[in-house]
Amino acid sequence: ANDVSMIKSAHIGVGISGQEGLQAVLASDYSFAQFRYLQRLLLVHGRWSYFRMCKFLGYFFYKNFAFTLVHFWFGFFCGFSAQTVYDQWFITLFNIVYTSLPVLAMGIFDQDVSDQNSMDYPQLYEPGQLNLLFNKRQFFICMAHGIYTSLALFFIPYGAFYNVAGEDGQHIADYQSFAVTMATSLVIVVSVQIALDTSYWTVINHVFIWGSIATYFSILFTMHSNGIFGIFPNQFPFVGNVRHSLTQKCIWLVILLTTVASVVPVVIVRFLKMNLCPTLSDQIRQRQKAQKKARPLRSRRPQTRRSSSRRSGYAFAHQEGYGELITSGKNMRAKNPPLTSGLEKTLYNSTSWIENFCKKTTDTVSCFSQDKTVKL
Amino acid sequence: MTWSATARGAHQPDNTAFTQQRLPAWQPLLSASIALPLFFCAGLAFIGLGLGLFYSSNGIKELKYDYTGNPGTGNCSACALADQDRAPPLRCSCAWYFSLRELFPGPVYLYYELTNFYQNNRRYSVSRDDTQLSGLASALRHPANECAPYQRRASGLPIAPCGAIANSLFNDSFSLWHQRQPGGPYVEVPLDRTGIAWWTDCHVKFRNPPLVNGSLALAFQGTAPPPNWPRPVYELSPDPNNTGFINQDFVVWMRTAALPTFRKLYARIRQGNYSTGLPRGAYLVNITYNYPVRAFGGHKLIVFSNISWMGGKNPFLGIAYLVVGSLCIIMGFVMLVVYIRYQDQNDEDEDAE
Repeated sequence: ANDVSMIKSAHIGVGISGQEGLQAVLASDYSFAQFRYLQRLLLVHGRWSYFRMCKFLGYFFYKNFAFTLVHFWFGFFCGFSAQTVYDQWFITLFNIVYTSLPVLAMGIFDQDVSDQNSMDYPQLYEPGQLNLLFNKRQFFICMAHGIYTSLALFFIPYGAFYNVAGEDGQHIADYQSFAVTMATSLVIVVSVQIALDTSYWTVINHVFIWGSIATYFSILFTMHSNGIFGIFPNQFPFVGNVRHSLTQKCIWLVILLTTVASVVPVVIVRFLKMNLCPTLSDQIRQRQKAQKKARPLRSRRPQTRRSSSRRSGYAFAHQEGYGELITSGKNMRAKNPPLTSGLEKTLYNSTSWIENFCKKTTDTVSCFSQDKTVKL
Repeated sequence: MTWSATARGAHQPDNTAFTQQRLPAWQPLLSASIALPLFFCAGLAFIGLGLGLFYSSNGIKELKYDYTGNPGTGNCSACALADQDRAPPLRCSCAWYFSLRELFPGPVYLYYELTNFYQNNRRYSVSRDDTQLSGLASALRHPANECAPYQRRASGLPIAPCGAIANSLFNDSFSLWHQRQPGGPYVEVPLDRTGIAWWTDCHVKFRNPPLVNGSLALAFQGTAPPPNWPRPVYELSPDPNNTGFINQDFVVWMRTAALPTFRKLYARIRQGNYSTGLPRGAYLVNITYNYPVRAFGGHKLIVFSNISWMGGKNPFLGIAYLVVGSLCIIMGFVMLVVYIRYQDQNDEDEDAE
């Protein structure tokens, strides 16, 4: 029971669900059955969790800076009247529908190195301890990246739309075409960015990323269709826009240029960083990839469970405990010839030293042990 | 608590690929063999595109004339002098004489351009009622509140079309005259004023309210024109297919521009003798100066232009593609150098280990 306060005051409280009862388990953040699982909890899951969380946060800040700061630049050209650059529906749906799922999938499934390598190289745990992946510096880098992207997102369409006419001579530099171009560029840029950030592409990641882009285009076509304008003319004034603007080659050239201009610096920086000062994680990833190529694919062998005859020692004791019994070695040596299953050997041993124990301790404990014997 | 070693315990978690994070996955790594060829190909492609765009934009001919009439800039100053914070007297006209030394290849497009006119101002751009403009009879006499103060006249009559955008309709008009021989008579060049607005705008977004007894004027009974308009909306044009809310000039104006400097299509020149373009000779543009822009420091221009496969004249996109393409190639070389140098170093380190 005195473990509970210790567990509650820690950053992460871990309880072993063992023979001491369930109080520690109920008060803890994580609980498992054996002490040795702690290694996996820290080196694999804890490290992955830190890695995913930092990537998620970095991407989220970047995406929202890129999305919002465009309005700041537009203010200079709309008389500072707080006119939005995008369609109202796009603003509503952007963070909920178009870009939420890919980053969620990255935050759930992403792995930089495999679990086996995480355990083999415990030095990989250091970035978490030193707070290297998300600190003030990283935040300002995200912010700068978002500002740069918003500049590219605004000024490239601005230059392309300045006082121009469309392919048939008709109006193309109108507010609605400008909004559609910028919204499409934004969705494509942030989707390409999440595609670059995701380093572990499961099926779900594929579905979410490509599905988000497809959802964007399908909602766009629906909102600009004649049918929905007929029902709600004031809510959907963008009728006919996507048919007119997205069939102009100029618009697609603008979108392509914006995407490349936003994404290429990221690729360059990452490539240079990986070659000039590779982190341990990068090196292990490269080794992993080389190993995968060298080794032919073989089918997974079913995990064989080791039936261990030896139980690891108990860590804590409230009463006198079994120390004397253990050090006397009585439960280490088999009194009878070894049986086929290790389990039965343990049973026999436990019965023997429990009998010894019962002679020493109080009735309540012996009742407890006897209950256990019955269950066994 | 059971100690079975082979059977699953009651509290053991699922052992599926999903729950144990063993899903098969593609783990891409940014390697030089992918990044470098990509950079070089993209750089070359962009440079090619940039050159194509730049040359096609350079091949577009454009002829502009600023007829705002600021003092000392030509014929229209007389009309402009009358415009001091209020609309100039109607029917003030001025002329622009120019001559072409060679054929201006067609089809030629005639635009009017405005500068410093913020059609993208928020308060201005929400001042419209799309339900009224879509021709719903019930909305015709009940303009939306966003149109205020251009929602009802002082007499209490609802304004159709309501809003500040409609009220500020551009109402200058132009006519083009061609003098074939020097000293000869001026012949009017036919201006094609149809099809200047988007098809969806004229046929879906903007519709006239249903006719009453076959008359559009009766359909608009009980409404008043906006304060700045000299005539009601059903008299915008003598052509019955081009009047009312579906008048092409009105529809073009209602498609608000994104930036403070913009041009809107006025007419195409592609009929009769002028279908291949404007031949050489002297020309006269007769401008009916109605629209006041000097109050806010704006300028009015008239523009003759032709079109290429990517639209009007705009060198920006070509230059931008050239810049990005060349940066890609330069950075590709930098990355190649870094990769070669540091890959050798990494290989040495690994051999030394």
